[in-house]
Amino acid sequence: MAYTLQYGQVWCFLPYLLAGAALTLQLAAIAFLAGALIGLVCASVLSFGPRPARLLVRAYVTFFLNTPLLVQVFFIFFVLPEAGILLSPFGACAIGMSLNAGAYLTEIERAGFASLRRAELDAAETLGFTLVQTIWFVIVPHIVRALFPPLSNQFIIQIMTTSLAAIFAVEELTGRAYNINAQTFRTLEIFSILAVVYVLITILASALLVLAGRRLFRVRASVF
Amino acid sequence: MWAQLVEEAPRFFGPWNLLFLGTALTHTLLLSYLGALGGFAIGFVLAVARHRRLLGILPLRVVAIAYVEIFRRIPFLVKLMCVFFAFQLSGAQAPMFTVALVTVVLSAAAFAAEIFRAGIESVPAQQWDAAEAMNFSRRRTLFGIVLPQAWPVILPPSFGYIVGFMKSTSIASQIGVLELTYAAKVLNTRGFSALLCFGTCLLLYFAICWPTKLAGEALERRLTIRRKAPPTPQLELAVR
Repeated sequence: MAYTLQYGQVWCFLPYLLAGAALTLQLAAIAFLAGALIGLVCASVLSFGPRPARLLVRAYVTFFLNTPLLVQVFFIFFVLPEAGILLSPFGACAIGMSLNAGAYLTEIERAGFASLRRAELDAAETLGFTLVQTIWFVIVPHIVRALFPPLSNQFIIQIMTTSLAAIFAVEELTGRAYNINAQTFRTLEIFSILAVVYVLITILASALLVLAGRRLFRVRASVF
Repeated sequence: MWAQLVEEAPRFFGPWNLLFLGTALTHTLLLSYLGALGGFAIGFVLAVARHRRLLGILPLRVVAIAYVEIFRRIPFLVKLMCVFFAFQLSGAQAPMFTVALVTVVLSAAAFAAEIFRAGIESVPAQQWDAAEAMNFSRRRTLFGIVLPQAWPVILPPSFGYIVGFMKSTSIASQIGVLELTYAAKVLNTRGFSALLCFGTCLLLYFAICWPTKLAGEALERRLTIRRKAPPTPQLELAVR
């Protein structure tokens, strides 16, 4: 069967497709920020909390890291209505992705906390730093530098995972590609363009994050 | 809700549904492990192709690097759609399982290439120099000197990635491959409560992913104890 690729019909939909990137970034940002907050709380509990709380957090992290995000969102989207909680597709995706990101970010942030060395705190004590000074001048800069690369990596992954929202009819990048597909049936053209868009967006995001990391926190990193 | 659940459970876990779920579980396992196997094979070739001292053919290196960088930056769902439509338009009558498997392999290859690259790069350059000085062939250097030292860096993270591939196979439900997620959707459509369907589905995924991850962690502990000095004492985050 001969099939000729015809991108001509699809180009006019490009602005519509790219506008979906706004929703993609929005969803990624929500999931990432909420996840970072969950991660911060859970990582603190893992580091300082009492044993029952630690076990609870461990259970949450282990369960969410070892089950697929898609099924987690399915669960939230279909099971919560049975309990009387109705969610919009966007809401279900945002909650599911936040909880999922929270599990990953707990691990990342815990590792960041653990990278702090006792010698640094001893040095601060020797220099007569107060607790606030120790936190502000020693602990925070260290943790930020240690956490920046894995956190930016997680954000890039977050941009890609939001494509799952299309399955729940959220009109982000992939969702809009589905819509264009339903109108034009130029399937391979649309999805190849979509793939290129994802590659470009993630490379752009990586580049910006690397630049920000170098400027603000003197993190040595490169895009590739 | 609970009363309904208790009433429904015996029907849900009836022999036919269990058989259905078993088939689905088998497909998920086959997809992930065959996909990982193929992916690691291609990934190894890619890592060799992009290495400066092994082949050193520039166009090949560029292709390998581009493949890895591009395929790691496309969401699995989009890759799946591309492969799905490419199969459809090429006119090849492939079953959906094959389409999903090809996607897992293509996707896994990009990640595996990075794992192998990190492993090969973890071996100091002097080892290459020494091997060259002793007139070892490149192949012998790679298989006899570099890889044996690289396994402790390659193997443990591989298990984490295999768990990742297992989780991505859930997206294959979108093209109608009978794997766990699709099975849960089908059972839900047949009228069983979503809690039972997706809850069971989540637990089954957990039952296959967690042991894989634990195996990786156990391997990591065994391999690092033998090789490395004890880690620098880290802050015990208790208030002094």
